[in-house]
Amino acid sequence: MKRALLSLVRLFPPAFREQFAADMAEQVERDYDAARARGHPALLWFALATAFDLAKSAAVERWSPTWVHTPTTSTEEQAMRSTFHGWSTDLRLAARALRRSPGFTAVAAGTLGLAIGANAAMFDVVDTVLLRPLPFAHADRLVHVAASAPGTEMPAEFGVSLEFYLQYREQSKLLEDVSTYNSFTSTLRTEDRVERVRMSSPTNSLYSTLGALPILGRLPVAADEDRVVVISHALWATWFGSDPAVVGRVYDIAGRRREVVGVMGPEFRFPEDGTLLWIAGEIRPERIEPGRFWMPLVARMKPGTTPEAVARELTLLAKRLPERFGGSANYVRIMERHRAVVRPLTEQMLGAISRPLWVLFGAASIVLLIACANVANLFTVRTEGRQRELAVRRAIGAARGQLVRLQMAETLVVAGAAAAIALGIAWAGLPLFLRAAPAEVPRIGDVRIGAAMVLYTLGAAALSALACGLVPAVRASAPDLARLREGGRGSTRGRHWGRNGLVVGQTALALVLLIGSGLLIRSFDKLRHVDPGYETQDVFTFQIAPEGEALHDGPSFARFDMDFMARLRALPGVQSVGLVENVPLNEGTDVGRFRTEDMAGDPAAAVRLDFTFAAGDYFKTMGIDVIAGEPFSSTDLPSTLGKVVVSRSAAGRLWPGGGAVGRRLQLQGDSTWSTVIGVVEDVMQYGFRDTAQATVYFPLVGPTPTSWMISSPAYVVRTPRAESIAPEVRALVREVAPNAPMYRVFTMAGLARDSMVRLSFTMLTLGIASALALVLGAVGLYGVLSYVVAQRTREIGVRIALGADVAQVRRMVVAQGTRVVAVGVATGLAAALASTRALGNLLFGVAAVDVATFVGMSTFMIAVGLLASYLPARRASSVDPMVSLRGE
Amino acid sequence: MASRGESGMSNLEFHVLLALAGGPLYGLAVRDAVAAESGGSLAPRAGSLYRVLARLMADGLVREVAPAEELPPHPGLARRYYALTPAARGELLAETRRRKHAAAMAEKRLGVAPGRS
Repeated sequence: MKRALLSLVRLFPPAFREQFAADMAEQVERDYDAARARGHPALLWFALATAFDLAKSAAVERWSPTWVHTPTTSTEEQAMRSTFHGWSTDLRLAARALRRSPGFTAVAAGTLGLAIGANAAMFDVVDTVLLRPLPFAHADRLVHVAASAPGTEMPAEFGVSLEFYLQYREQSKLLEDVSTYNSFTSTLRTEDRVERVRMSSPTNSLYSTLGALPILGRLPVAADEDRVVVISHALWATWFGSDPAVVGRVYDIAGRRREVVGVMGPEFRFPEDGTLLWIAGEIRPERIEPGRFWMPLVARMKPGTTPEAVARELTLLAKRLPERFGGSANYVRIMERHRAVVRPLTEQMLGAISRPLWVLFGAASIVLLIACANVANLFTVRTEGRQRELAVRRAIGAARGQLVRLQMAETLVVAGAAAAIALGIAWAGLPLFLRAAPAEVPRIGDVRIGAAMVLYTLGAAALSALACGLVPAVRASAPDLARLREGGRGSTRGRHWGRNGLVVGQTALALVLLIGSGLLIRSFDKLRHVDPGYETQDVFTFQIAPEGEALHDGPSFARFDMDFMARLRALPGVQSVGLVENVPLNEGTDVGRFRTEDMAGDPAAAVRLDFTFAAGDYFKTMGIDVIAGEPFSSTDLPSTLGKVVVSRSAAGRLWPGGGAVGRRLQLQGDSTWSTVIGVVEDVMQYGFRDTAQATVYFPLVGPTPTSWMISSPAYVVRTPRAESIAPEVRALVREVAPNAPMYRVFTMAGLARDSMVRLSFTMLTLGIASALALVLGAVGLYGVLSYVVAQRTREIGVRIALGADVAQVRRMVVAQGTRVVAVGVATGLAAALASTRALGNLLFGVAAVDVATFVGMSTFMIAVGLLASYLPARRASSVDPMVSLRGE
Repeated sequence: MASRGESGMSNLEFHVLLALAGGPLYGLAVRDAVAAESGGSLAPRAGSLYRVLARLMADGLVREVAPAEELPPHPGLARRYYALTPAARGELLAETRRRKHAAAMAEKRLGVAPGRS
């Protein structure tokens, strides 16, 4: 209160203060002490009256100054100069003092630097990936549009179909522009190079929807049909050496000759970062088959409208689709229940990754908090050690401000060093982090150390300096003058609450991180032990896209495949070989409606199932169990004609009564029937978190040569050398199909790892953060207890001299540590209860409040706390009473 | 330099000048003297006191002086000492006379004999 009153003196104009401030302060201090001696009411009255008097006088003095005496230089200026002078001197002094205690400096700056570095690196990632607006004009008006149909067989969100695009484009009053797109891999062949690359064939409205213009050439128009492409800046730079002459050239792109008409700017990357070119095209209304739901749709809202309003409008527009385009009874049923789903494009593109990234940024921030607490502790202990020196300084006339400044100068020097270390750590650590990060994270390739990160680092260092230094500094400014009298011993009782508070906070924060990473570790473990219906070990997979005169229909491709598989089987170490149209974990299967002979009369009874095509020893190679009947013959192609294999739940849904083998099924829209020869286990096509798919496997060749044509299947090879066989396979491919690019080369184990990368990456990073937090927390606890024991050496000595049991002394110290840890654990549990929900869908098979994890991690934390208290306790119990007493 | 003239001076100004008439004093001592000499009726708080002091200095009645040699050294910050200017003596005298005159008149009207209590 006294300080608050004194600070009111500052309200006077500088010139007045220069003359009278010291005297005023003296009077206020003196009167304050006198009032306090008279009791609380007197003190309160004094404080109120004085505050009023000072404030009123200062206001009047500013309004009509009585003191207009002007010194030669303005006092403000003088004050500034002396402050700067003071700061630079203090910084110099602080640097010198810190050089004298290199251990302290290294630990403090290292701890802070590590934490700030990790925090700044995470900030950089969050900033680049999540916070920067998408690189499109007025990106806030871009929305992603999908569909849902609650209460039908398609309750989850699904993509729209072409008729939606037409309807929205022609009739929406809230949308400025609409575009659909897709994303696929196909062959790009130039004069000297052929590769499978990511491409897209959006509607020509994509560019106006996103507000993008080419940097070279032009955009496609309707008259181009699908004969032209626009290429990405990346493709232009890597394949064509940034040669402007590429515009106008014609290449083999996705199966036909197409002309390059434009080059987009480097910031135009859509729908994926790796999309290298966009094929022109427009939707032909006459070709629309309603109900082929799969398309993503991007739209630009008119200014001033909201996604909710757009969703209402689009829902209404879609209701009229069946009357315009017709469609099956099933389609009509779905459209009755249809609800448009509209969400900001940013959310669509970044939503999945934003949670892990924010979790990691939060974890890095918690580590920084813990590090600050540790360094604050270090500084407090250091200040305690200097109490005598500070008391002397104060006694010979140093102002409190000067002492605070001196202390803050030390934290500032340490923070400066920490900032340098942090930049070093970010510089070295960021590439490692990015390499571990899931590749599908948009814009992750743009993350680099830039001005924003450097500024953030400096800001974080400055804030940390304040956080670490302010409390010890203020304490230093009010040194216990009694120390001078007592010869430097002084009493320390009642001074620990601050540091105990820090340890409680550290323990609590570390526990939150420990529980978080515990939950992720359990999720990962559960996910790894999921049985996806196939084995991932020792399986190598790849695709090729052979072309040639001889390859023109289903049977010709099938013959090529059978020959090629025979060659593969002959490679050393290969146990079995098969092929599939869509390999699990890498591609989705097709979806169709199937009926049995029992259902033939009722079109509505048809069942929606996934379907794909398989051949060779596909099931054996993938380790998919055969439940009934037998799979396709591995070498006898004709014997597979007209046969299918179905998975367990597909069989169950088609023939609920059982006995699928020998029965016949038909794909809706197809005229031929196929006989089931085997039933196999369901597989998880899309990842280990999804339910297994009900799938129908068709053979490589259809009933007629043109029924279907599997031109680029995925081959699967079972071999113990799955990780190393790629070069031999590549050599074989060059031999049998010299022009066919080999792509999607994986091991199934690698695909399995990739499918879990978002979780494993978050788990790993969070694990590192919580380990750091644990170590820092334990060190903090150890430091506080060591200090307390050192302070109580005399007391402990007396106790032992008086006959206290050594074990008892030890228990006393451990108990003190345990109390602090227990409060920390309780706080941490509460915080974890409130915050683990943030992990959301990163968790798998584990509740956000998993009792086992919470109890286990708390126990672990307490154990670490006990260990951290035991070491100082042992030291305390070995105190020699004679030494400790003589020390006084 | 503005003369107080007929406008008179405030009670506090009078007592500050009165306190300094005994010799140079530093701020807190001025306050203590004012409090004592006014019989406790005046106990100026810091803000008011120093604004009055500032006004008196601006009016040329009070000036800052170097502390006398024989003053005991004080630990801590150097204090500022204030003293009357020659002009102040005249002002103080005039004010004293005014007050005396007013007091005499009051006593007469109230029927109290002067010089006794």
